Amino acid sequence: MLQQVLNGLAIGSVYAIFALGYTLVFSILGIINFAHGAVFTLGAYFTYTLLGGAFGFNGLLANGQLGLALPFVVALLVGSGLAGLVGVGIERLAFRPLRLRGADPLLTLVSSLGMAVLITNLIQYLVGAEIYNFPSDIYGTLPKAVNFGTAAAPVPVRTVQLVIIAVSAAILVVLTLAINYTRFGKALRAVAEDATTAGLLGINTDRFILLTFFLSGSLGGVAGTLIASSVSIAGPYFGIAFGLKGLAVIVLGGLGEIPGAVLGGLIIGLAEAFVPPQYSGYKDAVAFAILFAVLLVRPRGLLGRALIQKV
Amino acid sequence: MTDFFATNGFLIVSMTLAATLALSLYLPLMAGQLSLASPGFYALGGYIAAVLSDGKHFTWSGQTYPVPLVLLEMALAGLACAVLAVIVGVPALRLRGIYLALATIAFVEIVRVVSLNVEITGGAVGIFGIPQPYDDPSKLAYLWIAGPLLGLAMVFVARLERIRVGRAFTAIREDELAADAMGINPTGYKVLAFTLGAALAGMVGALSAHFINTWNARQGTFDASIGLLAFVLIGGSRSFLGPVLGAMILTALPEVLRQTADTGGLPAWLGQFMKDGRLIIYGVLLVLGTVFLPQGLITPALFQRRRPSPVRAKVEPPA
Amino acid sequence: MSESAVPTAAAPTLLQAEGMTRRFGGLIAVNNVSFSVAPGEIFGLIGPNGAGKTTLFNLMTGLIPATSGRLRLRGADITRLPPHRIARLGIARTFQNIRLFSNLSALQNVMIARHSLTRTGVVAGALGLPAARREEAATRRRALELLDLVGLADRAAGQARNFAYGDQRRLEIARALALDPTVLLLDEPAAGMNPNEKAELSAFTRDLRDRFRLTIVLIEHHVPLVMGLCDRIAVLNFGQLIALGDPATVQSDPAVIEAYLGSD
Repeated sequence: MLQQVLNGLAIGSVYAIFALGYTLVFSILGIINFAHGAVFTLGAYFTYTLLGGAFGFNGLLANGQLGLALPFVVALLVGSGLAGLVGVGIERLAFRPLRLRGADPLLTLVSSLGMAVLITNLIQYLVGAEIYNFPSDIYGTLPKAVNFGTAAAPVPVRTVQLVIIAVSAAILVVLTLAINYTRFGKALRAVAEDATTAGLLGINTDRFILLTFFLSGSLGGVAGTLIASSVSIAGPYFGIAFGLKGLAVIVLGGLGEIPGAVLGGLIIGLAEAFVPPQYSGYKDAVAFAILFAVLLVRPRGLLGRALIQKV
Repeated sequence: MTDFFATNGFLIVSMTLAATLALSLYLPLMAGQLSLASPGFYALGGYIAAVLSDGKHFTWSGQTYPVPLVLLEMALAGLACAVLAVIVGVPALRLRGIYLALATIAFVEIVRVVSLNVEITGGAVGIFGIPQPYDDPSKLAYLWIAGPLLGLAMVFVARLERIRVGRAFTAIREDELAADAMGINPTGYKVLAFTLGAALAGMVGALSAHFINTWNARQGTFDASIGLLAFVLIGGSRSFLGPVLGAMILTALPEVLRQTADTGGLPAWLGQFMKDGRLIIYGVLLVLGTVFLPQGLITPALFQRRRPSPVRAKVEPPA
Repeated sequence: MSESAVPTAAAPTLLQAEGMTRRFGGLIAVNNVSFSVAPGEIFGLIGPNGAGKTTLFNLMTGLIPATSGRLRLRGADITRLPPHRIARLGIARTFQNIRLFSNLSALQNVMIARHSLTRTGVVAGALGLPAARREEAATRRRALELLDLVGLADRAAGQARNFAYGDQRRLEIARALALDPTVLLLDEPAAGMNPNEKAELSAFTRDLRDRFRLTIVLIEHHVPLVMGLCDRIAVLNFGQLIALGDPATVQSDPAVIEAYLGSD
């Protein structure tokens, strides 16, 4: 039972981090960035490379390897930062031209899908489609597992999961504090509320949009790295499934609501963890069943505001 | 010349099937519904055909699978998908815009995961050795069914735009509330458009199962949704010819790139890129298409001499 | 009309609003408004900006659900019905902000409103069966007649978005008439018109009422127009009904004067 709860919290907190990337963009621009899953994937690959990982036999960069190997924390930060930069690039190329034209959100959705396809296949072209495993010693001298039970009834919990929970919690705390208590955070919320007015009040909305995409991409990169370090990189497409599940998380929590992303992520993580072993093949369907049910019963999600259509 | 058709038979039939599938997305779009559900119905239709032709349900004599049975399977698949579409659609189509799109994404994923786990679909492995109605290695013979299917679908959609029901769809697409106030039941007609699209996708799926000879969960995925969306986007969403043309061009494109790369006369790296990087090019086209060709290639402007209508930003509430 | 409401008794009232109320969170947009409209009346609804007039129309046509209260058509309760059912019962409307199907032609706009009076299904229509073709031709004829009535017959193929503001309003009226309504709700039909056009509109409205045996409820800002045209007038302010009666009575009602001009 404890095992399942911890599993649920671990995966749930990664879902939360990942979903926050969606939420930040949605709260500012009112659109879903379908390339977020690709940025998640990139973050994992970046960190892998920075840890000194070698590439496989296929792809343009076959057998390539960065000359150095950074410590895990540094690699995580740099890798996520790079993912954030990619997020900015996506904004410039796929979102901005459409926004300046006042285009239908549907078009932006498709454009971001195009970027997702592009990035994912670019990764495959460069480094092939094999599974990459993170080096097993990334956490240094920490033990592989921690015993939460007693010597007689041991409940081993993988260190990786504890690290994930700890890192996610730290990020969430920092983010919440930043958004609620700093000038930056207040400006971000102003832009989210009403970009035109915020602009009139002297906030550089363009810069905030860039910052938001950077933050969103970084969060995606962190999530990707955490999953990759805990399981593996299952190939360039491993972010797609995450990307889709992230949608379930944000709808459950309420589109554009930051606490909602956290709540939604944890709920879905726990729901998946408690799927009985004989139905484990259906685990992936849990998130989508929840997504469908929420849309039918309460589309605004748990914490979303009810929207009234202007007649 | 016959050589060309022989080597490209598979491609030509694929293009035809893709165009029909694009129309299955166009139908709900006529009523303003962005539904990404077609791949789910396509997958279901394929499974129905694959299971029905496994030898335990029908019997037949001769080497090839009888064409009438294929047609029967297509009809049954269409019917089954229509029923499922009504069940799923009545609750789901109260949603608007992005929320509906998300609901259809969820639907496709649920279908996919279920088909991975259920015995009758062969689980992750899928179903192999689906019998063939034609003894043609180039598969061009499938055009005998795929061609008329596309033709009929095109005629149907073209007719739809000129009759009462099609007008109801268009009214809902233009302004759902005004349509409601003018006596049109929006949910009813949205479900109808959705169901017609689902039935068509199911029929294409049933035929495709025979065409491709195997069927598994990889046939109905989110990726496929993106592909269909690209067809409609690039081709144009205001006329039924748009998705047809978009589908044919984008289906042929990877193959054309590959064959061009093989003909030589190109620097080696470019040829290699065109082969391995086909999907990269695809993604680039999608981005460029939305930025530069928002109305797609086939726009109403082509038929009338007017300026295309500018696209406005909308943020829709869920329901 | 293709459906008829079941009357509870022989009533001289055609349309009856009983305590209609609409709350948006803490804001009460329409507060306990009651009135009745007699058949053949031209009934005016006036009040300062934000008084709740359009919201009341939206309640009456089912576009927004009422928080409480009832609406009756010939005695039958139609309060909870969706807009398309109310349209089929014979209540048609125009919109303050003009909600035409802008990318469609004028003819298509009007033909669409014939929907509930026709019945060709998708199969018959697609096959082009004789009955379907006949109905299509009839629909077209009727739409052209209505366009002719509002003076837009020569622009039938024009795209609605390209029409001048005044013409768009006329097109909306033609579209509403295509429903063969018994009640016509006009939301600020004279907005943006010059005095000549307003006078024409007055005459046209009376003509419509006589020709089609309509009962008309109209929201209007231009007080002289309303006073000259309407048989009775209801005055709303802050969502509440503050006066109801014939033009002379309403005009001299101190509450009305205060609402429009403010108290001294």
